[in-house]
Amino acid sequence: MRNKMLKRVTAVAAATMMTFLAMVPGTKITHAQGNDDVIKLRVCNWEEYIDLGAWDEEERMELENGAEIFGENSMVDDFTEWYYETYGKRVEVEYSCFGTNEDLYNQLTLGDVYDLVCPSDYMIMKLMAEKKLVPFSEDFYDTDNPDNYYVRGVSDYIKDTFDENEIGGESWSKYAAGYMWGVTGVLYNPEKMTEEEASTWDVFLNDKFKRQVTIKDNVRDSYFAALGSYRKDELMDESLRNAPDYQERLMQIMNDVDSDTIENVEDILQDMQGNVYSFETDSGKADMISGKVVANYQWSGDAVYAMDQAEEDDFYLDFAVPEESTNLWFDGWVMLQSGIGQDAEKQQAAEAFVNFVSRPDNAVRNMYYIGYTSVISGGDDDTVYDYLKWNYEAEDDEEDTTEYPVGFFFCGDDSNEDYIMTVPEEQTRRQLFAQYPTQEVLQRSAVMQYFDDTANKEINQMWINVRCYNIEDVPVQIWIFVGVAIVLVIYITIRIRMSHYREKK
Amino acid sequence: MRSSRFAKSGLGIPYALFLLLFVVAPLFVLLYYAFTNGQGQFTVQNLAAFFTSPNTIGTLAYSFALAVVTTCVCVLLAYPIAYILARSNMRHKSVILVAFVMPMWINFTLRITALKEILTVLEGNLALHPFLNSVIGMTYDFLPFMILPMYTTLMKLDTSLIEAAGDLGANPVQTFLKVTLPLSVPGIISGITMVFLPSMTNYVVLDMLYNSTYIMGSLIGSYFASYDWHNGSMIALILLLIILIFTLFTNKYSDEDEGRGGALI
Repeated sequence: MRNKMLKRVTAVAAATMMTFLAMVPGTKITHAQGNDDVIKLRVCNWEEYIDLGAWDEEERMELENGAEIFGENSMVDDFTEWYYETYGKRVEVEYSCFGTNEDLYNQLTLGDVYDLVCPSDYMIMKLMAEKKLVPFSEDFYDTDNPDNYYVRGVSDYIKDTFDENEIGGESWSKYAAGYMWGVTGVLYNPEKMTEEEASTWDVFLNDKFKRQVTIKDNVRDSYFAALGSYRKDELMDESLRNAPDYQERLMQIMNDVDSDTIENVEDILQDMQGNVYSFETDSGKADMISGKVVANYQWSGDAVYAMDQAEEDDFYLDFAVPEESTNLWFDGWVMLQSGIGQDAEKQQAAEAFVNFVSRPDNAVRNMYYIGYTSVISGGDDDTVYDYLKWNYEAEDDEEDTTEYPVGFFFCGDDSNEDYIMTVPEEQTRRQLFAQYPTQEVLQRSAVMQYFDDTANKEINQMWINVRCYNIEDVPVQIWIFVGVAIVLVIYITIRIRMSHYREKK
Repeated sequence: MRSSRFAKSGLGIPYALFLLLFVVAPLFVLLYYAFTNGQGQFTVQNLAAFFTSPNTIGTLAYSFALAVVTTCVCVLLAYPIAYILARSNMRHKSVILVAFVMPMWINFTLRITALKEILTVLEGNLALHPFLNSVIGMTYDFLPFMILPMYTTLMKLDTSLIEAAGDLGANPVQTFLKVTLPLSVPGIISGITMVFLPSMTNYVVLDMLYNSTYIMGSLIGSYFASYDWHNGSMIALILLLIILIFTLFTNKYSDEDEGRGGALI
């Protein structure tokens, strides 16, 4: 390449700039041991996405199977200790955080080096397609090794999804290990909106709630919602629902990036923009709790957080999953080529880190701390299920209870008697439902693929068209007003100049 | 002699380094990306794209309108205050001035959050008046930057000139229009520069006040988020040029009228 040199120079300059910028919001915590023979592991995760410890004594949990859950130190510290005890080697974790998948990707392109990162599904696919990842070693998949908590504990449902989805002929599970997962839906105020009204992507077009609902300020999530609304009839059609290849067809529909479709989605998003309160990045949860809006587009984990927060003020919010389809999403651990390279020792440490956070008690600690749902069901270990019971099971004297099956996640079948919980009736649309949606909901879920370069460009342009003020929309009166204002300014300027000129004479 | 002169110029080295590393180098990166495409080839396509799309031009117009209205509101609000403060014989002038500047000491996101609640009480639903709210938010944010330079200029104004105008038969209105106002132009210009430029790009205020329309800052951000650094850089560059032209223009204006300069920030 001719301009390779130039590219390098700019990359270095840009990297310097980025490092400078990265110092501002990033929180870099180094867990130093200070030796030469320590393995240095650079981990980059979402902000507030791991247990930082320092729990109050009253938060100590004792579960039915005897497991005791308590976060004394941060999980990263616990890992270095566990690693030394288990493998007899020192590891030093340099833990940092990113804000969005795109930020992480840009950091990587600009030359930041990490060994283990935790992006979302589509970013994992993008990194896979670009051959930037290192596959997990064979040892990692060895179910006989008791320290391989990930393969021993990951839910079959998640494992199947990771096995079935492929990029370039290779399944995700070769390169990625799940961390947290969930669906997207609508968080709503049941006093102002019915469950039925909330259970459709059309809620953002419903003029009964004009300027009272918010949607995500994020092209992928908004695209999904608008697409669900655009192809509602097809998606709700019984013949599709009952088709043997429903899953594949659903995936196709919800990943449709045809130019035609994009155009139609743009129209719908324009309509949504005219109807919603705002496109929000982070204010949605607070606005739900304060009552500014009556419904908002939400990821299941954040919905749980918002419901918890609201309950502290005796205010109750519910969660609904649109009938058309919902976006099944994951965040997963992947190892980077640029960081790990050929370093087998480092790779082993990275895999050990994944296993450590997948240990059932640690999965529970993280879930308790951040409110999202771990991909770990526990295998033979009941800790995760017992945590669910500890969290949600109805008290003996509670009256309005119902049975809620979570077997689909724990063993692949909702009808399994072992995984049917008796819970307060409202939990079927509250935190439990958001954390562990029913089999019926998960069957209408679709993973959203990454957009390739062409589609990405087209969709971004579509998004810009939606969000920008179109000069052609300027009404005639404004043009006249601006014209008059300009003439006036010119006139006044000339008058002032003339008078100056005369005075000087 | 010689060595002391060297020492003096040496004092500038840290700043020069800073400038080189964080201002000049990034500018070149910006230039490179603005005039190349994804394959690294030279192109003016990005430039053409900006001026041919009704959306980007619309965004420029929207940002411009927002900035103009905000600046006008700020001038109209700030001038009387600065005038009263500077010309009155109040004993605790500086205390009052501090009261006006104090909001600047509080983090601006906090201030806007507070403003959001107040506006919600007043308006009910913020989403109904996005443009108005943005103007109010920016005015709230930038007003001190307008008051301060105006106040300084008016403080420095030679009172004997006003007395002379009175002695020569001008009434108070004439004195104000012919003497005080023209002499305070540099302060006004400097205030305008400090308010106009940030209000064209500060999209955080819009975000926080639920105005979902993009302005220049958010447009650049949106390109970067979709890995399109080329179009993003071009828009950043265009914005830079607009600001440069604006600064040159206002600078020339204040020089001409007063010869004091000082508007270049």
